[in-house]
Amino acid sequence: MSQITTQLDDSGAVDPNLPPDPSRRTWVASACAVGGVAGVATAVPFVASFAPSEKARAAGAPVEVEVASIAPGEMRTVEWRGKPVWIMHRTTAQLAGLKDNDPLLADPNSDRPGFTPEYAKNEYRSRKPELFVCVGICTHLGCSPTPAFATGPQPGLPADWEGGFFCPCHGSTFDLAGRVFSNKPAPDNLEVPPYTFSADGTHITIGVDENTKA
Amino acid sequence: MIKKLLGTIALSLTCAIAFAAEGGYKLEHAPNRINDMASLQNGAKLFVNYCLGCHSANSMRYNKLTEIGLTDDQIKKNLLFTSDKVGDLMHIAMTPEDAKKWFGAAPPDLSVIARAKSTTMGPSGVDYVYTFLRTFYRDTSKATGWNNLVFPSVGMPNALWQLQGERSLERTTIHSAAQADGSSQWERTVAKYDGQGYSEIKKEVLKDYDGSPVDKAILTPADPRLQATFDNNVADLSNFLGWMAEPMQLQRKEMGVWVLLFLALFLLVAWRLNATYWKHVK
Amino acid sequence: MAGEKTVDTTGLLGWIDKRFPLTSMVKEHMSEYYAPKNFNFWYFFGSLAMLVLVIQIVTGIFLVMNYKPDAKLAFESVEYIMREVPWGWLIRYMHSTGASMFFVVVYLHMLRGLFYGSYRKPRELVWIFGVAIFLSLMGEAFFGYLLPWGQMSYWGAQVIVNLFSAIPFIGPELAIWIRGDYVVSDATLNRFFAFHVIAIPLVLIGLVVAHIIALHEVGSNNPDGVEIKQGPKDRYGRPMDGIPFHPYYSVHDLVGVAGFLIVFAAIIFFGPEMGGYFLEYNNFIPADPLKTPPHIAPVWYFTPFYSMLRATTADFTWVLAGAAVLAAIVLFIKGNLKGVWRIAVPVILLLVAVLLRTIDAKFWGVVAMGGAVVILFFLPWLDHSPVKSIRYRPTWHKYLYAIFIVNFLVLGYLGTQAPNPTFNLMSQIGTVIYLAFFLVMPVWSRIGTFKQVPDRVTFHAH
Repeated sequence: MSQITTQLDDSGAVDPNLPPDPSRRTWVASACAVGGVAGVATAVPFVASFAPSEKARAAGAPVEVEVASIAPGEMRTVEWRGKPVWIMHRTTAQLAGLKDNDPLLADPNSDRPGFTPEYAKNEYRSRKPELFVCVGICTHLGCSPTPAFATGPQPGLPADWEGGFFCPCHGSTFDLAGRVFSNKPAPDNLEVPPYTFSADGTHITIGVDENTKA
Repeated sequence: MIKKLLGTIALSLTCAIAFAAEGGYKLEHAPNRINDMASLQNGAKLFVNYCLGCHSANSMRYNKLTEIGLTDDQIKKNLLFTSDKVGDLMHIAMTPEDAKKWFGAAPPDLSVIARAKSTTMGPSGVDYVYTFLRTFYRDTSKATGWNNLVFPSVGMPNALWQLQGERSLERTTIHSAAQADGSSQWERTVAKYDGQGYSEIKKEVLKDYDGSPVDKAILTPADPRLQATFDNNVADLSNFLGWMAEPMQLQRKEMGVWVLLFLALFLLVAWRLNATYWKHVK
Repeated sequence: MAGEKTVDTTGLLGWIDKRFPLTSMVKEHMSEYYAPKNFNFWYFFGSLAMLVLVIQIVTGIFLVMNYKPDAKLAFESVEYIMREVPWGWLIRYMHSTGASMFFVVVYLHMLRGLFYGSYRKPRELVWIFGVAIFLSLMGEAFFGYLLPWGQMSYWGAQVIVNLFSAIPFIGPELAIWIRGDYVVSDATLNRFFAFHVIAIPLVLIGLVVAHIIALHEVGSNNPDGVEIKQGPKDRYGRPMDGIPFHPYYSVHDLVGVAGFLIVFAAIIFFGPEMGGYFLEYNNFIPADPLKTPPHIAPVWYFTPFYSMLRATTADFTWVLAGAAVLAAIVLFIKGNLKGVWRIAVPVILLLVAVLLRTIDAKFWGVVAMGGAVVILFFLPWLDHSPVKSIRYRPTWHKYLYAIFIVNFLVLGYLGTQAPNPTFNLMSQIGTVIYLAFFLVMPVWSRIGTFKQVPDRVTFHAH
């Protein structure tokens, strides 16, 4: 039933010998531009939907902790953004011993970026000398170090140990200002989170400081 | 004196609402205040003060109220009733099991009540809430002491009774009722409920009635001015519930205008692109 | 090197082409696929259906990131997406609007097939894959609708699964097996989630690929029903009435996409609920196994078939039985069935007539509803018209099609309403019209004065 009539001069619905049409280029370019904008505009909501939701942000909200009742030498742990935060009331003896560690530390002045806010760039790494606040997560691979406040030699610790923290996973050690000892797997000092004192000094709010609101 | 009387009559006439021919009370249209931030804020205040005691809004976060113009501080100081963190959800202490035991039915969560109570191609849930909250009347025959024209024998007492003030109801129904001898006759029932809920019901058989069933209710407030303020507050509260059911509705419509304008441009470009190719086709 | 393939392309593309038929596939299916040049408005809906499928899959993936398929958590997780996930509300509305738009587009796409005889030889398989897609789509929508776990979700699922219990003997056990429980519950939700998110989308994608391959194998139909491959060819052997799909129909379809997106966006941003038809209000109430809402209806796109289900009452089975007996008699006397079928078919019909009165009407309602969809598979063999396209059929055929369409819409409307005696009667008449359109088609499609089908397509230069 097929009738194939090959017509030698006619060339179908579109003449292939037509000169190139410049208006095609204009409109293809415009269509690509508008289409590109449409594509980006559509992609933005989908990509943004990955960001933490209101629920995640609420769960990460600042935590207020009462600190006036922490006795000297005592450390309290609270949770902020799913991480342990240590609040320690350091004794005068412990504060005095901090300087002695300086030559043994990788970053005694907390110069390395990302772990020490401005108000903690001092020899105590805290706003007030007695109260030390830090995130209790080793800067090596994320285990939580154990407190080792007793001074003197102990298994795994040097003879002149002034007190600090010892990470059981790979042996990193930190002093009582959270500063990491040299030649240990952990590269950085323990992170000091954003925190502020209440007006009367009895509470701190972890998660809020001059730069971070909530 | 005459003014007060005329005012009462005028208001009671406006409160005289006929029931729909079949199935339920005819809902009144709530004033549209969805774009009025002050109204929504008043509604939020009424909601946390009067509703959140028994009804939860488990999908609504307190700090979402910043989208109707309140600050975190304002929310914390004035509206934080069931929690201490502004980022918390509006949970309540009462569990649904306890609620069922104490009230007979658990008060529903109100997060999306304004969408749930809409009718397909009919009045919106905001209209429903607006009418529902304004048609409570005292009725001593009910366990709660309250009854409602929109939702007869509802398990909810009138939480807004202090704002509403005293009101009486006169309800006239004409319906076909079965008689003792098995036949059915048209009967008119006039039920009067006074401000304390004591009712006086009169029935009479209409021998020559030649019409259709009637159901008319007239709510007469003791203080018409209080009634007007009350209506206004309920309008705010209903609109707030409408907002809370879909908080992003305001941005959604704004965005939509831009999207449609852009798509119109896209259509134009696509159309011209198509034309440049097809003009050579024979 | 010996045995290496030669290709026309060079560079990276050439490297790929020697190992994967990329350029040849693009040529075969796009730039050298010759489609008839006279496509009209009705020909937009195929590419639009593919667009909506992509939209549903992409938005679906993002919804699954935050949705919780647990009876205790599902409802709230949807509100979580609407309020707390950045742009979650937009993704949700795109998905819910997309679901309804999928059916709008697919119904119009099928209607085009009906108008122009696109299901006729040699395109029967294209049509069969298409009806299979339609059936899968109905399943996909049904399973997806349970996921928000609202009142409509719950009770709709309960009712539809109970339909299976109407099957004689095995029904009730089958229903329990489908649900995984005695009533619709968390077990049901979890398995429907698996079907909706993975099983049926894979089936759909496979069927769509098969649908397009089958189409490309024989070439597209057109509004005139003229086979362009049997017409004159140009010097290169290409059909004179054909035009390369790319770029001509790629840019043409882009216009369709733009128009569609305007409608799509208008709904999403200004009326995502569509008065309660796209997002049903009862579904904003969390599922309550102890309380059925006073007025259940399936989502709008199922309502025509739902009407047919409800119409099949005990009384109606008399009508259907009568019709079966009548058909048996007519086929025996006037039919031109060959050999054993001359006796067998009327006997089968008489048996059906008896069964219609023996087995519960509930079962026959399910059969009517299912049959209404399944009968579409047989359309290529029911249509005995000498011409393909409606353009060349007798005018009164066009009225028949119009009646069919209006009837379908009326059945749809009736399906949304609460039952009452008048509506029930209308549904029954509507069911008869729908079924008769197809079942009597072998007869009516041959009657009348047909117009002369041209050799070449009718095309007006733009």
